[in-house]
Amino acid sequence: MLSVLIQKELKAIILSPKFTATFIICSLLMLLSVYIGIQEYQNSVKQYDAGKQLIDEGIREATSWHSVRYRAYRAPDPMQIFVSGLNYDIGRWSAINSQSMVKLRNSSYTDDPIFAVFRFIDFTFIVLVVLSLFAIMFTYDAVNGEREDGTLKLVFANSVPRARYILAKCIGGWLGLVVPICLPILLSILLVQLFGIPLSADNWLRLATLIAAAIAFFTFFIILGVLISAMTKRSSVSFLLALVAWIVFVLIIPRAGVIVAGQILPVPSTAEVEGQVQSFSRDRWATFYTAQEERWRERSLHNNQSEGDLSAVEEEKLWKYMEEDDAARKAVQQEIDEFDRKLNDDLRHRRTAQERLAFSLSRISPASAFQLAAMDLAGSDIALKSRNEQAMDLYRTEYTQFVQAKQAESGPGGGAFTIQIDTEKGVSIGTPRDQAAVDATQLPVFVPPTFSFSDAAATFLLDLGLLLIFSIVAFGGAFAAFLRYDVR
Amino acid sequence: MLRILIEKEIREIIGSAKFAVIFGACAILILTSCYVGARTYQANRAQYEAAKAENLRQFEGMTDWFNIQQHRIFLPPQPLASLVNGVSNDIGRTTEVWGRGELSAQDSKFGDEPIYAVFRFLDLEFMFQVVLSLFAVLLGYDAISGEKERGTLKLSFANAVPRDKYILGKIIGSLTALTVPLVVALGIGSLLLPLLGVPLSGDDWLRLFLVILTGLLYFAAFLTLSIFVSARTERSSNSFLVLLVVWILCVLIVPRASVLLAGRAVNVPSVDEIAAQKARFQQQQWHEDRASWSNFKPTKSDDPNAMMDELNRYMEEQADIRDKKMQEFTARLNEQRYNKQVEQQNLAFSLARVSPAATLSLGVTSLAGTSITLKDHYNDEAKAYQSLYANFMKEKTGTNPGGRMFMFRAKIEDGEEVKPEPINPQELPEFEYHQPDLAQSISAAALDMGLLAFFNLLFFAGAFVSFLRYDVR
Amino acid sequence: MSELPLQSTQPMLEAVNLTKRYEDGVLALDRVSFQVRAGEIFAMLGGNGAGKTTTINLFLNFIEPTEGEARINGIVTHLEPLKAKEQIAFVSENVMLYANFTAIQNLDFFARLGGQTHYTRDDYHNVLLRVGLAKEAHHKRLRGYSKGMRQKCGIAIAILKNAPAILLDEPTSGLDPKAGHDFIELLASLRAEGKAILMSTHDIFRAKEIADSVAIMNDGKIIMQRPAAALVDTDLEQLYMQYMAGRSSELVG
Ligand SMILES: Nc1ncnc2c1ncn2[C@@H]1O[C@H](COP(=O)(O)OP(=O)(O)OP(=O)(O)O)[C@@H](O)[C@H]1O
Ligand SMILES: [Mg+2]
Repeated sequence: MLSVLIQKELKAIILSPKFTATFIICSLLMLLSVYIGIQEYQNSVKQYDAGKQLIDEGIREATSWHSVRYRAYRAPDPMQIFVSGLNYDIGRWSAINSQSMVKLRNSSYTDDPIFAVFRFIDFTFIVLVVLSLFAIMFTYDAVNGEREDGTLKLVFANSVPRARYILAKCIGGWLGLVVPICLPILLSILLVQLFGIPLSADNWLRLATLIAAAIAFFTFFIILGVLISAMTKRSSVSFLLALVAWIVFVLIIPRAGVIVAGQILPVPSTAEVEGQVQSFSRDRWATFYTAQEERWRERSLHNNQSEGDLSAVEEEKLWKYMEEDDAARKAVQQEIDEFDRKLNDDLRHRRTAQERLAFSLSRISPASAFQLAAMDLAGSDIALKSRNEQAMDLYRTEYTQFVQAKQAESGPGGGAFTIQIDTEKGVSIGTPRDQAAVDATQLPVFVPPTFSFSDAAATFLLDLGLLLIFSIVAFGGAFAAFLRYDVR
Repeated sequence: MLRILIEKEIREIIGSAKFAVIFGACAILILTSCYVGARTYQANRAQYEAAKAENLRQFEGMTDWFNIQQHRIFLPPQPLASLVNGVSNDIGRTTEVWGRGELSAQDSKFGDEPIYAVFRFLDLEFMFQVVLSLFAVLLGYDAISGEKERGTLKLSFANAVPRDKYILGKIIGSLTALTVPLVVALGIGSLLLPLLGVPLSGDDWLRLFLVILTGLLYFAAFLTLSIFVSARTERSSNSFLVLLVVWILCVLIVPRASVLLAGRAVNVPSVDEIAAQKARFQQQQWHEDRASWSNFKPTKSDDPNAMMDELNRYMEEQADIRDKKMQEFTARLNEQRYNKQVEQQNLAFSLARVSPAATLSLGVTSLAGTSITLKDHYNDEAKAYQSLYANFMKEKTGTNPGGRMFMFRAKIEDGEEVKPEPINPQELPEFEYHQPDLAQSISAAALDMGLLAFFNLLFFAGAFVSFLRYDVR
Repeated sequence: MSELPLQSTQPMLEAVNLTKRYEDGVLALDRVSFQVRAGEIFAMLGGNGAGKTTTINLFLNFIEPTEGEARINGIVTHLEPLKAKEQIAFVSENVMLYANFTAIQNLDFFARLGGQTHYTRDDYHNVLLRVGLAKEAHHKRLRGYSKGMRQKCGIAIAILKNAPAILLDEPTSGLDPKAGHDFIELLASLRAEGKAILMSTHDIFRAKEIADSVAIMNDGKIIMQRPAAALVDTDLEQLYMQYMAGRSSELVG
């Protein structure tokens, strides 16, 4: 009997005129989104390669380690084809040097705000907005529509248990909607293959789980439609309720969660923190310079010269003084770095707390659970920024050590020049010490942080579990509601 | 006759449960978005004030203006930007001003606090673009086909009712029944803004009024579109499906797709490429300049301080020359990129304007001053400030801080250090951000508002013509 | 009524060679002609799909005739639909009204739409009582109405229009026996007011009881048409069965 009922459900869905139209539209949108994703990914790869090449060129042309400018680029990930996440909101590169801290700059949207005007569409967005909408469009009148047609009375004129009927509704609806949707999903994967995007085994695993999450999300909305239709007598009412529920789940709760969290746990802005660091550093430098000034005065006195006159001091001694100064400068630099790190750590902690609250709040909605799961899987989640910044930070230490060693090797003041002001001879400007190209073969290369399935698994499983729980709750609700449904 | 039809339409809509639910939801959402906008504005304002204060605080205790080289200016949060976000969260807000050279704004809200970028914002524009249009579809999809299904169309046309009057009554009735409550909700929402601590100038009020007007035009466009579609279909379930597809296309697909298409069609050189070219040019300039420095001979060779000043002046001259060359070079590069960008934008936006949703977006962001031109406008404002700052510093120290060489100098008189007076950082000229001219904003938005009005007329005419041939049985 | 003097000279409702072929090729009506004069009730009998509703739709200009014409008081409906419709009231096969409106609200709307703006609330109550709708229901929304209650509202709307011609498509379907009986009396009183009434029905007995003229339709044609006087002694049901069985020719002979 169950199979008879399921068959009827399947037929009702697949033969309905709206099915063909919706199916075609969903398929086209999905393929379009993946096509766009592929194009954007290829663009990102091109930009990434070009950026790295420019850096290499710059190093090759440099004549001194003092003039080397290094940038670390965030690497694109093929998963962004399906989930663009925060990829375009977060800076693409950071300057790497001893003076400034790592900070990602120039996001795609900042560079080209035209893309920010309407944002991108990706596979996740299509699932999130379009598929969910279509799911409830097909199921909002599952039960009460039959009541209105009078067929419900006819069905229950036979010895059909109610439980079996509602089960068949859900299973039939699920099969009728999920199975056809798998076709465009497979086609889009084929499209990725056609464009020759290399996907590693880990990518495949992540992609498969992403699709599983999408189906779990889709299932929730299918069952939600049945639930609403089993709670109302008239399909016009359930239609309205279903749409309002959709708007609340997909559009409102996710955003509201973040806003509420922002109100509860405010976080200082980057500009504010940077301002604090700047004033600290200025303080430190001011004392450093007064101290240095004092030192030079002492040195000149020590050399039995009158103040400000150092002409008699031999060149080498002068370089030694400069070395001393350099060491002191480094100490100050380190102090500032530490202060900066402390403030930034604090900022990061507060931000993490805020994020955790925001996401917990917004996870009331399956739409947020799905979106977060998708971003986690693709590695374009909120941690994308800190993950990259941390890796770059580590690299920065490595890089500065290397470069400083190199600078020391080529003698102090390499690339720098001396300016001497002399009461008699006037001002003379020296030339830098070395002019040959630098040897960059041993320069450590920045390796972008790798991200794999296991990194995402923890949070992802939470979200997938949530999605399943939502579906089960909705099913339980539909079941309970239908047992007491007035079939007349 | 027309009056009877309109009256009936209004009464039917207002009496329906559908209207009650939808209007309730709308009112709540509109008020929420106004509230959220106000809170966001205050939060942004607090951040802005803190950053500004911090920026000045770092100069406290300094004794010489000479020691200040660069400082930062910030894009102040605009009251309307929190209602119509536009690109305001995507572009950099902090600019470092050195007195000369190119300016680039950093630290976008979304880049800084990606948490807000995860789900985007809930602003008034979103409310109009997505929610209200969906509600318009919901309220209008069965305007004609629903009456047919209920048999009331037949009954009405058993009377001597001219079709044109009927459809006119339908459209006018629906429009009044739906827009009047919306206007009330929006009005209350806007009046709440000053109470929630958002200062709105007379200018802002006018802008807000026009934003709401544009939003209502958009809502009306979707409503007439729904009536149009329902006058072309036999069954209301079909008209809903058609409308849903049209809605998805207009709101979600066309705008994005057209930008991507334009991105394909017009190739804008990447920022990185241009930055690398600039860096290379600058390096080259620097090298050339450095060679020429040994030519410098001070005129007075007895006073080190005077020599220092002279050197600084010399360096500044050099820097000025370098700066000029650099400016010419970057101007050329920037212009190339800018022209390409404008070309791309024009193409993208003309394509996108096929969809009323894109038109709405472009119109209201122009009015709120958060359209794509915000980035350039902020940059222009910052440039204007930069020259102000350079002049101020010249007055204070004699040189432009952007080309100076030395971070410190000591005033020594007869071997005795003079205790100098601390400077007052408040003297620094303040960065005043001016919104784009009202007239300019309006003329930018006029096209979009006109287009929305045109959509209204088009759908109205479509509904009218379709209904004249509609099978009322 | 001013039209009364015309009674003998001009039929109020007239079908002249009325033919309708639908877009899909179905010939729903094949050269049907008949006349209904003021103060006369014309009943159409016939199986499902015989063409009764099509005939009525043609009089209402919901569809245009393929050939021939339908006239109301001499006005050709598809040439001057608005003028023609001023003269008719209509009760549809399955009365559906605005579900969110109360009976009074529905009546008020349709009465005013029909140009009758002078009615008061009491008039509405009276006419609803006249068609047999209990007072308690008058201010309830139609959402909760039964089929027969909606039917009564539909009839009330037709009465309120006060038009010289009334078209009724199966008006008694869904009415309880008492309401059916009352309805027949109502029709009689309307006839006495001088209305021309064209009704389609499946109720042979009521048709015989009230109609001045009875027609049997089959496959788009009128296969039998007789004045009531000629039916007094015949068993109409038997006659109907015989006609439908296709033995019409031998009976006529
Ligand atoms: N819109 C249409 N398109 C095509 N054919 C139609 C259409 N409406 C009716 N028909 C056909 O015209 C014929 C007459 O239909 P009509 O509705 O007039 O019958 P009826 O006499 O009112 O039947 P019933 O007693 O069941 O109400 C039928 O064969 C029907 O199939
Ligand atoms: Mg019929």
